[in-house]
Amino acid sequence: KNTFTVCFSVGYSAVALNHVIDFKEKKQEIIKPVSPSELFPSLPIVQGTSKRIKVLTRLTLIVSDPSHCNLLRSTSANIRLYDIIAVFPKTEKLFHIACTTLDVDLVCINVTEKLPFYFRRPPVNMAIDRGIYFELLYTPAIKDSTMRRYTISNAISLMQICKGKNIVISSAAERPLELRGPYDVAKLGLLFGLSEGEAKAAVSTNCRATMLHGETRKSACGVVYTVKKPRKVEEEETVPACKKAKTQA
Amino acid sequence: MVRFKNRYVLCEVVSEDPRCRQCIEDRALGLAVRDAIARVHGDYGLACCSISFTVKYLNAYTGTVLLRCRKDSYRLLCSALPFVRYLESRAQRYPCFLNTLHVGGTIRTCQKFLIQYNRTQLLRLLQNCTNEEERQCIQKSLLSCSLTEEQSQSGDEEEDDGTE
Repeated sequence: KNTFTVCFSVGYSAVALNHVIDFKEKKQEIIKPVSPSELFPSLPIVQGTSKRIKVLTRLTLIVSDPSHCNLLRSTSANIRLYDIIAVFPKTEKLFHIACTTLDVDLVCINVTEKLPFYFRRPPVNMAIDRGIYFELLYTPAIKDSTMRRYTISNAISLMQICKGKNIVISSAAERPLELRGPYDVAKLGLLFGLSEGEAKAAVSTNCRATMLHGETRKSACGVVYTVKKPRKVEEEETVPACKKAKTQA
Repeated sequence: MVRFKNRYVLCEVVSEDPRCRQCIEDRALGLAVRDAIARVHGDYGLACCSISFTVKYLNAYTGTVLLRCRKDSYRLLCSALPFVRYLESRAQRYPCFLNTLHVGGTIRTCQKFLIQYNRTQLLRLLQNCTNEEERQCIQKSLLSCSLTEEQSQSGDEEEDDGTE
């Protein structure tokens, strides 16, 4: 809870609370997320604007086996209650599946050890088309020097494939002192190989896009388009009809 | 080329320990930042950034720090600031972190930003404070803050209430 108060004072406008589910253990039930209103009776206001801070709930699944992904397909009621769903693939096959077919918002990239697989362009491009974002954590980099090396090398290899698009930088802070302000996190993005504009986007616009992606995943099952075009074209055609006749003739 | 261009980075020291703020010293902070740069960017980074590196201004009550560095190397400095984890002074370590508020080309622009920032902080305190006297005190300081020519660094004319 302390972490949240520090978040708010530093200037973030939306915070997500993460639950991690690891499938290596025997039986894991997806528990209901803690509702944010239980933590705070009234949410404080964002600095500089008059809107309230949003607190979202997020689920991270650590998958090392394709059978674990069945959980996402099943219509478990508790999964629907989470705002954002992230998946943490451990093998190349799972990375491919996560980018192409799984119904998630974020794909976490491991920063704490050397990646066992290299990124390939086709699944990454498909993920970018589908609107899935890749997530990098920065808290291990602050804590430990070897983690820092792994973080930077993994991040740069990702950048080389995806050219800096669709990246979200987030912290896995458990204590309030592991948090950093948004300006500082954007500068960290520079270290990871992003350009300045991309680094700022990684903190602001991409995160908002992820939130929206999560919302649409929760609510929309299909989209209905209403097209106004045919009518308008008819009207336009009647007016210059005489002019057209002249030119054609 | 006429003059050397500098960048002034305005930061705020955020810490859980209330004693940490009172014990901030400019030398300790400078050492901590240099140490972080050395860890992240190595010898080259440290050498580049310390050409014109000083702690220009330090306010122990609000935890505001103003650092100066060359324009060519301010990126190295800014990207190493998140890695400052603790301040060491008088053989005691205080865990904290630096929150960058603003980067400007002159001290004056940083001052202007600091005044606006302090004003918003005071407004936030105003919402949270319960005592009527404190309320009036804050309101008076809010109305009286401005950039004057007499004082050289007038960014902290408003008083913090000590409840931070």
